[in-house]
Amino acid sequence: MTDQIAIHTDGLTKHYGDLHALVDLDLDVFAGEVFGYLGPNGAGKTTTIRLLMDEIRPTAGSASILGLDARRGSVELRDHIGYVPGDLAMYPNLTGRDTLTYFANLRGGVDWSNVDELAERLDADLTKKVGDLSSGNRQKVGVIQAFMNRPTILIMDEPSSGLDPLIQREFQQMMREVAANGGTVFLSSHTLSEVQRVADRVGIIRHGRLIALESVATLRAKGLRRVELEFAEPAAAAEFETIPGVRDLVVRNHHVAMSYEGSMGTLLAAATRHHALVDIATQEADLEEIFLTYYHDEEPV
Amino acid sequence: MLANVFTKTIRDRWIGMFIGAITLGLLLLMGMAAYRSIDLSIYDSMPVGFRNLFAIPKGASIGALAYGAIYTSYGALTLAALAIPMGTGVIAGEERDGTIGLLLGNPLSRVSVIRQKAAALVVVAAFGGVVLWLAGILSPVILGVTVTGVTLVALTFAMSINALFYGFLAMAISTWTGKRGLGAGVSAGVLIVSFFAAGLFPIIPGWENVAKAFPWYYYAANKPQTNGINWWHMLVLLAGIVLFVAMALIGVARRDLRSQNVGVTIMDRLRANPRTAKIVERLVGAAQVSTVWMKTVSEHQALLIVTAYVMLIMSLAIGPLYNVITGPIKEFGASLPPTLMALFGGGNLSTAEGFYQIEIFGMMAPAAIMAATIAIGARALAGEEQNRTMGLLLSNPVSRSSVVMQKAVAMAVEGIAVGASIFVGVWLGSVIGRLGMSAGNIAATSLLATLIGLAVGALALALSAATGRVRTAVYGAIGVALISHVLNAFLPLNASTEGLTKWTPFGYYLNSDPLVNGMDWWHGLVLLILTIVFVGLAVVWFQRRDLRQRG
Repeated sequence: MTDQIAIHTDGLTKHYGDLHALVDLDLDVFAGEVFGYLGPNGAGKTTTIRLLMDEIRPTAGSASILGLDARRGSVELRDHIGYVPGDLAMYPNLTGRDTLTYFANLRGGVDWSNVDELAERLDADLTKKVGDLSSGNRQKVGVIQAFMNRPTILIMDEPSSGLDPLIQREFQQMMREVAANGGTVFLSSHTLSEVQRVADRVGIIRHGRLIALESVATLRAKGLRRVELEFAEPAAAAEFETIPGVRDLVVRNHHVAMSYEGSMGTLLAAATRHHALVDIATQEADLEEIFLTYYHDEEPV
Repeated sequence: MLANVFTKTIRDRWIGMFIGAITLGLLLLMGMAAYRSIDLSIYDSMPVGFRNLFAIPKGASIGALAYGAIYTSYGALTLAALAIPMGTGVIAGEERDGTIGLLLGNPLSRVSVIRQKAAALVVVAAFGGVVLWLAGILSPVILGVTVTGVTLVALTFAMSINALFYGFLAMAISTWTGKRGLGAGVSAGVLIVSFFAAGLFPIIPGWENVAKAFPWYYYAANKPQTNGINWWHMLVLLAGIVLFVAMALIGVARRDLRSQNVGVTIMDRLRANPRTAKIVERLVGAAQVSTVWMKTVSEHQALLIVTAYVMLIMSLAIGPLYNVITGPIKEFGASLPPTLMALFGGGNLSTAEGFYQIEIFGMMAPAAIMAATIAIGARALAGEEQNRTMGLLLSNPVSRSSVVMQKAVAMAVEGIAVGASIFVGVWLGSVIGRLGMSAGNIAATSLLATLIGLAVGALALALSAATGRVRTAVYGAIGVALISHVLNAFLPLNASTEGLTKWTPFGYYLNSDPLVNGMDWWHGLVLLILTIVFVGLAVVWFQRRDLRQRG
């Protein structure tokens, strides 16, 4: 990751009537990074991507890619962009190869040895008509299409849907290679494990608002831990609810489980005030848990 | 309205039928207003054969003429055309949309889906008939006209049955094959050819009975607007409907459902065959995806080939047939005032040019060209949005305006190809029939037909660009074309409104009588400018708006 800004948005906003699909998004994505864009369904991920691709126009604010305005410079920009739309659809009557030929022609040519290599890596069949392919195999054609002209910027809306785990791994490797070569990957996803594995930084969006922007490492280091305590006698929820940093508390008889963010000393001091502690288990929270924590904490806008 | 498949289908379809029927009702009102001002006594002096040809009863009243002109042909064609997509939507439409699996995932049999959708088709067609009937009752009341000798109920009933015939034909073919396009194409072809044949054969001595081979005969021959229902004729159509429903039920049970509709074309077979693969690949495989416009042309190749071929054959056949028509019909045509002839497509039966104008150029030629240009114009942009491919297409370095322009080029290519096939057909017909028509004038008329087709197609493109909705673009363009055509036929009937034809696009197509007088370059220019303006609007409108996520 470098400090060179690849994608920049400034107060980017999109309203559909009363629906505020995206509100005041300020975001910088840097060259050489894989940026994970996470959020539940309907959070505004696809809206952001469609704005970046100039498919739709902002109600307010602006976006720029590689220093060019996403709207005014959109045609010029597309020479450098590879794109996998969400809910990918292609021309059912064309074979995979015909489809790629079409897009290659629109781009003024492409290195076919690269296409063949990508097809091999993803185990894609380009001889069949797209309409006859399963959704996963169709997705492969879409991914090859995005990678085939060696783009500087990759913008992908939930691209791994339908890909099997082995192919997903290869695909993640391909994304890392783009970033390693100084390119930028903007990856929207709700497959958290994927983002965790591949992304450098993560933006979390909910109800059209960006609610967190962290590096994956920082997010993990936030100290959110999964803690399970076993006591000699039954415990009451009230004893733990008031401790700062405790979330998702579940008290069942002698057993207490929670997510906890803060000093372990404070937690243990409070926990042992009334009962004898028999056993303790803690582990680092995964992104999913961290994500759900944010998700639950944020009030709907 | 979402209680079951039956009510959901009605919910999805009634509005199209309603708009179509209301438009026809308004046209009827306009037609009656125009007829009100002319002297009708001349009709009574016409020979019987001539009156039969145009469905004019003895002692014709304003009402009878207006119903005959608007409802009997335009109306019945429109109603049938609205029924066809309902028929193809029964199973094949759900297969194309990928919803059939979900639908049949419920405790519903294939047969039950067909039964419910077929029942909905009947209800919607009947609904169209009722709206037309109401409009038919209201129009003379609004205008203060007394209507005599018209059996309106019989006419609208026959129109609904006629529409159902083509709707169920479409259902049978598309359900049997799983191919929506095939069902729509074949039924539309049968509709047009049979309309044409049922009108033509009765005026050719010795060939009168050939008309009975065509379904339109059983709707129109008895002239339901004046003679009431001929139950034997209705029975023929009903028997056809029963047969089609049976075909659909048998057809759907015997085959695999498609998950997505991918047809195998002749080109696919040739590309797969090792002997032909190389040459076909070079000629077609690479060419069809070389540019946006070439790809668009190739997507519509089936429509183009069928339309061009049918028009070529029909135009050619008319020439030799003209020599067979003799007797009072031909002679009488010469004595009619031109304003009256405008009603019948402006042609005059006493000359070969006039005959060609009535049979080909009056309605068939512009309709065929528009079938191609509207189909491409409407689907060009909105179609890609509906199929969710527009975002991907525009992620390549092509501008929106370039996409619009290339789609316009594809539309022009297909329109010109159909226009050229009409020119070749008419010219060959004239040569074979030794009619001695001027090749230059035929070319001029074909060119003007192509230009009016392009203007209306460009309107469809502009609507498609502005809204992203295929249906809006198709119905909007057809509506404008139909209203413009009817206005151009009726406005000259009244001296005070005659000058207004210059405000309708159709006024620039045949009003200069190009088959006789040759090319009117001003008229051609007006249509060309209209086309350019609509394409320009398409560019501007498409540039401005958000792409739809799903059509």
